[in-house]
Amino acid sequence: MSDPDLDRLELEHLALRRGLPREIASAIGRMVSRAGLMPARRDEVLEELIAHFEDGLASGRPPAELLAAFGDASLAPPPPALPFPVPRRGDRIVPRLIQDLRYAARRLRASPGFTLVAVLSLALGLGATTAVFSLINAVILRPTSVAAPERVVDIYETSKAYPYNATTNPDLADLRRGTTRVFSEVAGTRFTMAQVTRDGGVSRVMGEVVTGSYFPLLQIAPALGRLLGPEDDVAPGAHAVVVLGNGYWHRAFAADPAVVGKTIQLNGRAYSIVGVVREDYQGNTRGVVPDFYAPMMMVNQLSPGNTDVLQARGEHGLFAKARLRPGATLAGARAAATGVAAELKRQGIDDWVNGTSFTILPTADVIIFPGVDRMLYPVAGFLLTIVGLVLLVVCANLASFLLARGLDRRKEIAVRLALGATRQRLLSQLLTETVLLGLLGGAGGLLFATLIARVLTTTNLPLPVPLTLDLTLDGRVLLFATAVSLAAGALFGLVPALRTSNPRIASTLRDESAGGGQRGRLAMRHGLVVAQIAASLVLLIAAGLFVRSMRAVEAVDPGFGREPSGILEVVFPPSRYADASALLAERELAGRIRRLPGVTAVGMIDNLPLNLLNQQDTELGLPGVVAPEGQGGVTADYAVVDTGYFAAAGVRLLEGRDFGPGDGADAPGVAIVNQQLARRLWLGKRAVGQRVTRGKRILEVVGVVATTKIRSLGEDPRTGVYVALAQAGASGLWYVARTTGDAEQTASAMLRAAQDLDPELIPIAVRSMDRHLGVVRLPMRMAALVVTALAMLAVVLAAIGLYGTVSYAVAQRTREVGIRLALGADSPAMVRMLMGGGVRLVAWGSLTGLALSLLLARLISRLLFGVGAFDPATFVAVPVLLLVVASVAAWLPARRASRVAPTEALRAEG
Amino acid sequence: MRIERELMRGAGPVTVLRLLRQREMYGYQLVQSLSSRADGVLAMGQSTLYPLLYSLEAKGLIKGQWRELPSGRKRKYYGLTAKGKARLKAEQAQWRRLLRAMTSLGLLDPSRLEP
Repeated sequence: MSDPDLDRLELEHLALRRGLPREIASAIGRMVSRAGLMPARRDEVLEELIAHFEDGLASGRPPAELLAAFGDASLAPPPPALPFPVPRRGDRIVPRLIQDLRYAARRLRASPGFTLVAVLSLALGLGATTAVFSLINAVILRPTSVAAPERVVDIYETSKAYPYNATTNPDLADLRRGTTRVFSEVAGTRFTMAQVTRDGGVSRVMGEVVTGSYFPLLQIAPALGRLLGPEDDVAPGAHAVVVLGNGYWHRAFAADPAVVGKTIQLNGRAYSIVGVVREDYQGNTRGVVPDFYAPMMMVNQLSPGNTDVLQARGEHGLFAKARLRPGATLAGARAAATGVAAELKRQGIDDWVNGTSFTILPTADVIIFPGVDRMLYPVAGFLLTIVGLVLLVVCANLASFLLARGLDRRKEIAVRLALGATRQRLLSQLLTETVLLGLLGGAGGLLFATLIARVLTTTNLPLPVPLTLDLTLDGRVLLFATAVSLAAGALFGLVPALRTSNPRIASTLRDESAGGGQRGRLAMRHGLVVAQIAASLVLLIAAGLFVRSMRAVEAVDPGFGREPSGILEVVFPPSRYADASALLAERELAGRIRRLPGVTAVGMIDNLPLNLLNQQDTELGLPGVVAPEGQGGVTADYAVVDTGYFAAAGVRLLEGRDFGPGDGADAPGVAIVNQQLARRLWLGKRAVGQRVTRGKRILEVVGVVATTKIRSLGEDPRTGVYVALAQAGASGLWYVARTTGDAEQTASAMLRAAQDLDPELIPIAVRSMDRHLGVVRLPMRMAALVVTALAMLAVVLAAIGLYGTVSYAVAQRTREVGIRLALGADSPAMVRMLMGGGVRLVAWGSLTGLALSLLLARLISRLLFGVGAFDPATFVAVPVLLLVVASVAAWLPARRASRVAPTEALRAEG
Repeated sequence: MRIERELMRGAGPVTVLRLLRQREMYGYQLVQSLSSRADGVLAMGQSTLYPLLYSLEAKGLIKGQWRELPSGRKRKYYGLTAKGKARLKAEQAQWRRLLRAMTSLGLLDPSRLEP
């Protein structure tokens, strides 16, 4: 039986039940079903006709006469007064657009529920997209404020171990001397942290020390006063002047216009403020905005350490830049730099003997740092993919909803086509509506993105340096957000609009339940559900891979710091502590920390492993063995430790002994090596008792300790050597105090102990071991958190989409269900039948999603840790999870329909 | 005697508006009034009355309301809206002008309007 017949019979049945004679009931059924009215309207017309004939019969007229008087015309209402603009040819574009916008706004107001849900879900999708883009904008796209940037180059030192190493102050000086023909300026900059004393309070700020040629090279203008020049960079320790960062000037000095000429206390010394940089100058490295700039000649005062940074060839911390002379070429510059490297090698200078060279890159080609940049594009691409998928799910949801709603609008569209509207005109009106929705969602998204930016910039992440990302929504972000919003509006509106305005489909004005259009519409909705499920699955699998990576990162045993401990990094200013008194004071502080309540062990090391900022290594040789040409000895990570460090940090001593009181400054040189170094140098032999050379010193190995992670959790075992504090000295030390109490509180108590000992000590880091290790675990935690949150959002949206589609499909079949139930089918069978379609969609979506996930997994394999890109557990568990969620979404409406009483179901609109 | 379809199309709406100005009525009452008061001339095919009502309702000229009769049955009563009253006035004026014009042309003889 076709649908119209069902319809007519049902109407006739209802009229009969009201006591009308069969011929009248049959006529009513025919007329009303032919009118093709919407359900609510149809019921009303039916009631009215029944009333009409009741009255006629009550007045005593025979049914045949009543029917003859009534006639048999169509009951379809004539075109209603039109609540929409009737388009005419030749309308002007702008008034037409305004007209369309007004109409669209009116329609959106008319269904506030839909509008709210649509705008909210779009705001989430577009907000996430905009936030990611503003991050990319801040890191990758924002242009430099340097004048003529195409003439500026970055210079790195390239060796076998480090493809892009920062340079050193002496190397920079040699480079400058050897390249005067190609470079007009050669400059260097280096990060420094300093303790600021202001108004009785102490804080730590981040700065850059720059060579005198640095600002002249950039050719930028100050906001206030002047910038630093060569005259500020002549004699070590003699130029106590600073230029303030613009942000710091605002934060700490409330943008005081009279700040120039005032002084600021840095590490206990007064520096006079000579200027402020402009707001658009954010320092040398993106993401790290210095609070102040000081002359390079002050580096040893600002970063008091164990070596003279101005003289030491091993202090690779200087980022070098140079400006090409007019007429000079990059190739010429590279040739000149190669000449300098060859000369350094000829002179037999440490690092250069092994064939280290200079690498020159145009500054425009460097984003943050060549080594980091390699990861930036995959990360940016991955983030954009993730939020793009979320946005896709949002759009698919809305498109699916609009398709369903388009059904309700068929009449309106048909009337308008009949009145002479062109299809283009209708399309433009329908699209105006969705694009307006897109723009509203985009505005919401901007708010949401601003919120995310605020959270990102105010959250105190356990980072080694304060990250400052300028996430303000500049013109580029706004342009992007607008374009994406427009595109989203067009994307989710186009397919429904094309279908709704299709004259072939819309013309079925009379025949409400014509099959063709419906089937196409359903197929389209099915396609959208498949797309949503697929996108959700891709997101879920990415989330799964990152969660597994996070687990793997957390499962890595760094080889130290397993027990709760407090950490204090502190500098003993060399100006106050000469060699012997330094060791005494350092051990005195260790003694005081040991007496703190709860502390069970204390140790000192000058460079705690997994500390990302300060990584040091040294070259070791074997006595009597001359390394072949072009090869040095063995490079090993290097640290200075005092007795008790290994015990306090929980590093196992495998062989021999710890440093002891006998290993004083005048005693024979001793060293402790890690297992990796012992294997490398003396495989199969006992390491204790062996000798190594470090520079001119000969050290005897007295112990072997377990290999710890040193630079990153993912590294292969690295060689490491430890020397005794009493023999090597160090003015900056990390104290590790194992405690039975709370680690954070212990760290605070350690800081107080240091300040009690000497208020002039410079504390650099105060934290628990957990927080210290948290830094290296942070990226994976963040990735897992963000991707999981977005995946959850997508899954919820996809589940809503599936629920809606199954509900719709079920509603279409309610009458069929009623008939089947009335014929004796049982309820579970009905649920199975109704769910079947939904489950098939989920299956198709999952298959598509799995295929796409394999592609994505390959792309992100470099970002994962300790888990294969095609991790079987993830690729099995995640689809199962999605299947369960999707089945519930399909089951709910199916169950509801199967519980409807057959009589109710029979009455339902087909 | 029935009136031509085209003519009826113009006269139908104003007739219904005029009838509803006096009191609210439901469908069958309107049918009755049309056949009794207009001598059956304006007794349009009843099946066209309902679409006409829906059309007037959609234009906001009349407003329908379901009410319960003492018998417990429900009927949809139609009444004139303010907009409907204004339209009726305008249409009456037009009809008057039309009548005058037709009279002056000799198509109508006022003296012969009465049967």
